[in-house]
Amino acid sequence: MDYLVTIAVLIAIYTILASSYNLVIGYGGLSTVAHPIFFAIGAYTTGLLAVHVPFIPPVGNVVLGMAAAVVASVLLAGSALRVSGDYLLIASLGFQLGLLQLLKNLEFTGGPGGLSAIPSTIVGPMRGPLFLAICGAAALACVFAVRTIVNGPYGRAISAMRDEELAFTALGRNAMSMKIAIFAIGCGMAGGAGGLYAYYFQYLSPDQFDVLASAAILTMVVLGGMGTAFGPVVGAILLLAIPQAITFLQLPPAIMAPTQGIIFTVLVLLFLYLRPSGILGGKA
Amino acid sequence: MNPVLRTEGLRKAFGGIVVSDNVNLSIASGEILGLIGPNGAGKTSLFNLISGVLRPDGGSIFLNGERIDSTPLYKRARMGIARTWQNMLLFRTMTVLDNLLVGPRDYPGESVMRLAFGRGALRAAEAAMRNRAMGILGRMGLEQTANSLVVDLPFGQQKLIGLARTLMNDGPLLLLDEPMAGVEGAAYETMQRVVRQEAESGRAVCVVEHNVSFIRDLCSRAVFMANGKILQDGSVEELIASDILTELYFGV
Repeated sequence: MDYLVTIAVLIAIYTILASSYNLVIGYGGLSTVAHPIFFAIGAYTTGLLAVHVPFIPPVGNVVLGMAAAVVASVLLAGSALRVSGDYLLIASLGFQLGLLQLLKNLEFTGGPGGLSAIPSTIVGPMRGPLFLAICGAAALACVFAVRTIVNGPYGRAISAMRDEELAFTALGRNAMSMKIAIFAIGCGMAGGAGGLYAYYFQYLSPDQFDVLASAAILTMVVLGGMGTAFGPVVGAILLLAIPQAITFLQLPPAIMAPTQGIIFTVLVLLFLYLRPSGILGGKA
Repeated sequence: MNPVLRTEGLRKAFGGIVVSDNVNLSIASGEILGLIGPNGAGKTSLFNLISGVLRPDGGSIFLNGERIDSTPLYKRARMGIARTWQNMLLFRTMTVLDNLLVGPRDYPGESVMRLAFGRGALRAAEAAMRNRAMGILGRMGLEQTANSLVVDLPFGQQKLIGLARTLMNDGPLLLLDEPMAGVEGAAYETMQRVVRQEAESGRAVCVVEHNVSFIRDLCSRAVFMANGKILQDGSVEELIASDILTELYFGV
């Protein structure tokens, strides 16, 4: 039971990550890979505050984690969003790798061993279900917030900017501030997901925020359907549930580990060939 | 009368290529000014300087007496400089109506804050914009295209949509970059009628065009440019009577 709850909490947290990443890359057209590092900034900020500053309530810590992610994203955006396309990709990758090295080498973040002993805020037998309810509600709120942003006038402006930035600007729209806003909203959501993660698992390791995590979140968005409101939800469920389902087959570990990798690779290749716009995306 | 737009000694060069060489130009309200000249004369560059896509190396630009040459592109559009593009730059994944709805100078819906608070006011603003957009499409006989994707329309209609989107900006200055290139038949008539109506409503209009008969039918004044310089500025009749055009288009 606990095991299933943990999977469900993970799915909720990754739904927030995939959904907010979809806002940035799918709708905003901002090709960044650094999304997991904003997840990390939220998680570490919340975790460190929970460990060292006991008088702040947990909700406050999560909000501060989000705020830290927003501040970091605006700092990165101010410089990196002036360039776009491949350059933005490289700049975001550099940002992610640099911060990751900091997390691994600073003493107060726990170094490569990670940050542990984050206090449990909820105790007792209802801990799992309560966390699941909170994370599930946050995921729903996040999916619907993204949907509200991309539908209607603001979403229209976002697609116009992505289609023809010059014409968009010449119609009196400030493309730069719009990009920063989209980026900050998306990264803030990732930071919030980090805060929830820190409280539920009570342990953070820098390795879980590396480029492999970027690839996982990107795969969720692409499989589910980039630029669709509910695609990332489907992607997050599939990519987290499939590996777990495989473990029920009770294969020997020597076969198990490569099987998961092979299944992901095959899935991505199949989708690229057969359905490049994802499960919920229209036929391309 | 004070001109809507005035440039003084406008200069711009890309390396050794001078695209704007001491350009002094003024356009009055209600006037349709034709801008003619060979390819590479600096006509589109002049539009880019006026609208803010390019920063001038020297000289100044005034809109209704206010100096704007260091104002960014998007702010100049909000001040009322509306322009079209030679290659239209329509929003290709969007419908005709949505293309137009990105056009207004000020739009409350494009703020995350307003999205979260005050959605009633937003709906009212959205409805008003929709009416205005449908009105402009109606003037061009294009109401029935409102929900089509722009890429599905014939070229002439796309050109008109480019103009329609620009007209959502109700500012005092309208810059049209080769509105007639590739346009014929009904769309040609519509284009001419709508541009004339815009000038009659008091806008200052400047048209870059190779189609001399379009200039003759529409413009009260014409400016001839070559190598970034204004070589002649006067009535269309004077320009047609002079040797400059004959040399340009017939090489004699």
